[in-house]
Amino acid sequence: MGLRPPAGDARTGDCALTARAIRQRTLRHLSRAVPFILFIVLWQGVSAANLVNPDFLPSAVAVGTALVRLVGAHEIFDNLGTTVFTCFVGLGLGVLIGVPLGACMATSPRIDGFFSPLIKATYSLPKTALVPLLMLWFGIGGATNITVVVLAALLPLIVYTYHGVHGVPRVLVWSALAMGTPQRNLIWRIFLPAALQEIMIGLRIAMGFSFVVGISAEMIASNHGIGKLMFIYGESGAYDYMFAATISLLVVAYCADRGLVHLTNYYLRWQDSAQRND
Amino acid sequence: MNKKSKILVEDVSKEFGSDKSQVQALKNINLVVSEGEFVSIVGPSGCGKSTLLYMLGGFVPPSSGRLLADGQPIVAPGIDRGIVFQEYALFPWLTVFDNIAYGLEMTGMPAAKREKAVEHYVSLIGLKGFERRYPRELSGGMKQRVALARTFAYGPSILLLDEPFGALDSLTRETMQDELQRLWRTTGKTIVMVTHDVGEAVYLSNRVCVMSQRPGRIIEEFSIDLDRSGAREDVVLSDAYTAIHNAVWVSVRRQVTHAPGIAP
Amino acid sequence: MTEQLNYSELTLRRLVRRVGALYPLALVAIAWEVTAQLGVIRGIFLPRLSTVLELIPKLAAEGQLFEPLLVSLYRAAGGLLLALFAGVTLGFMMARNRVIQFLIEPLVSFGFSSPKIAFLPIFILWFGIDHVSKILLVALTSVFPFIVSAYEGARNVTINQLWAARAMGTSNIALLQRVVFPASLPSLMSGLRIAVPYALMTAFTAEMIAGGGGLGGALVLAQRYFETPTVFAYILIMLGTGYVLDIAFIWARRYVLRWHEG
Repeated sequence: MGLRPPAGDARTGDCALTARAIRQRTLRHLSRAVPFILFIVLWQGVSAANLVNPDFLPSAVAVGTALVRLVGAHEIFDNLGTTVFTCFVGLGLGVLIGVPLGACMATSPRIDGFFSPLIKATYSLPKTALVPLLMLWFGIGGATNITVVVLAALLPLIVYTYHGVHGVPRVLVWSALAMGTPQRNLIWRIFLPAALQEIMIGLRIAMGFSFVVGISAEMIASNHGIGKLMFIYGESGAYDYMFAATISLLVVAYCADRGLVHLTNYYLRWQDSAQRND
Repeated sequence: MNKKSKILVEDVSKEFGSDKSQVQALKNINLVVSEGEFVSIVGPSGCGKSTLLYMLGGFVPPSSGRLLADGQPIVAPGIDRGIVFQEYALFPWLTVFDNIAYGLEMTGMPAAKREKAVEHYVSLIGLKGFERRYPRELSGGMKQRVALARTFAYGPSILLLDEPFGALDSLTRETMQDELQRLWRTTGKTIVMVTHDVGEAVYLSNRVCVMSQRPGRIIEEFSIDLDRSGAREDVVLSDAYTAIHNAVWVSVRRQVTHAPGIAP
Repeated sequence: MTEQLNYSELTLRRLVRRVGALYPLALVAIAWEVTAQLGVIRGIFLPRLSTVLELIPKLAAEGQLFEPLLVSLYRAAGGLLLALFAGVTLGFMMARNRVIQFLIEPLVSFGFSSPKIAFLPIFILWFGIDHVSKILLVALTSVFPFIVSAYEGARNVTINQLWAARAMGTSNIALLQRVVFPASLPSLMSGLRIAVPYALMTAFTAEMIAGGGGLGGALVLAQRYFETPTVFAYILIMLGTGYVLDIAFIWARRYVLRWHEG
């Protein structure tokens, strides 16, 4: 009766990670950067050969220089900061509202009966369409943007939490009850940990939504934020800066996504290896 | 009503389903279990034996009749009745240590005392050194040992087992059965076990109830008085064991083959 | 005769139950109308539901409903079609060829999670504010679900299915057409289900940001003139459009996948 080898995690395991394994993993990660490097090289090649009007496509080098200058200057951090702040605050509020709501809906048919039709009704509305209305109510800026991000993040969070809590095996709940868990503690101690995997998937999707909607709101009407900044650069003809700002935004969104994936894998390290993702 | 009865099942029936299509799972079940007894319930698949166990656990209400534990009606799950499932039902986000400690935590035992108690049980089930492991790192047998340990740890006087060894291979199963017997002997708990393995029922319990096909009724009861002081081989290969085992097996077999719609 | 009665009685009961389940929507509508009627909130912030609903046929009559809606749908559909062809082709190629998969996959996983709307300023620079930039942005946004679903779908074709087809003398092209594509249809339909709302959303959003007509442009215009009932009306229309498209999708899926057991 042997012990099944843990799924290659140095934290739990013996020497599952040899030097060789580490080298292989790093190589694999680096190899994923190859297409990007090729893309940049291609880009620079096209610009250098003057195949395109430099006004429409600044060379990779020019954009790179602009990027470096931007990072040195304050402007980009201020604006990126505003955008990131909006998106994360909206996401956070979405979690605070959406996860408990989804959990309650999954455990109480009455609550489900009330909220389910309302949520399904708003399913097919792109939340950015609410920006003009919210602008009428709250004016331009922070409140509008955060509100619309909250609304966009709510849907995936509610749906995935619901799905996750619904799928918790009843033997887990029954065991907890038999061991004296009070009913009111069940959601926090049993349902949410058991549903955590689904919730994290919903969180990842919600984060993607919050970036898209947050940036859209900034572009529609805002005084601040990277969305606004990109348009300012565009209108003043500083195209290399515009490209640089776009890239910086994409990088930030990518890092946020990756960060969440790593966080998920850490907090869900107790998961069966068959259920792991990414 | 026997004053000493630990568990009393009085005229219990259970129906499932809405007005259109009803299924009668159990019909007029009557059962008395005394303190310290080990009772097994065997029967064909789908006869409702698990449902009866769930009712004893307070997870499912009866449609009619009542169930009593220690003279009190069973209406909800409680810490006097521990349950072990075939699927182990360990909390995958907790380590072995925390899983076993869970029930103790619920009883409000202070942390220092808890730690000692958990360590005791971890050694008892032979998993010393695995306290910080997660269930996903354990084999089936180890998981079931943790499941048993956590249920014994917080000390319910009644133990309900739902096909506890069904998911294990036969060698592991035999080891676990002996383990269970040892635990029962040393703690004197009242155990009600549901199993489809007649041999297991006869080997472990001092009473076996045979259930019929759906709607389940208790058809026969066998009192088992084996000399279990010897090694497993001595017990299983003895004539007494064989006789009782065959009798119970025939009884169960009759329930399987005499079901309506099945050709004899 | 009695059985027939019971059946229709049952369906009626079921229908009533289904409609009854929508009671929260009715509650919201009533609350909305009552709050607005009482004048608790000023009309400029919350017009009456009845006003908004009456406005919709008026907008249609003035050419302010179907025309912009069709413009938006045209852009969304154009982008979607483009994305379909490009995405499915790319996805299949990735499933077939290791090198292509190696090159494309990191780009796809990067692109999937990134806010594609960030490319709008660049697209406007390149293609102007009319149809082209919006169609291409829609295409960029919707291509990823198609790539992924085509890739997954093609990968899930079992090797036995491929061998059986080959044994019956299927050429490479025919293999793609008659085995891989149909086998990937369930996966592709899932991808489509994700892509359609993305396409619609991108079209509306791009119009809201950069003008150029369409429903999004009309919505922003109404907001600029503080015509709150019109704003609400357009939101309801967008909601309705999304809903209708989803129903259409479900029917289409039922037809396309009528052979599927799933």
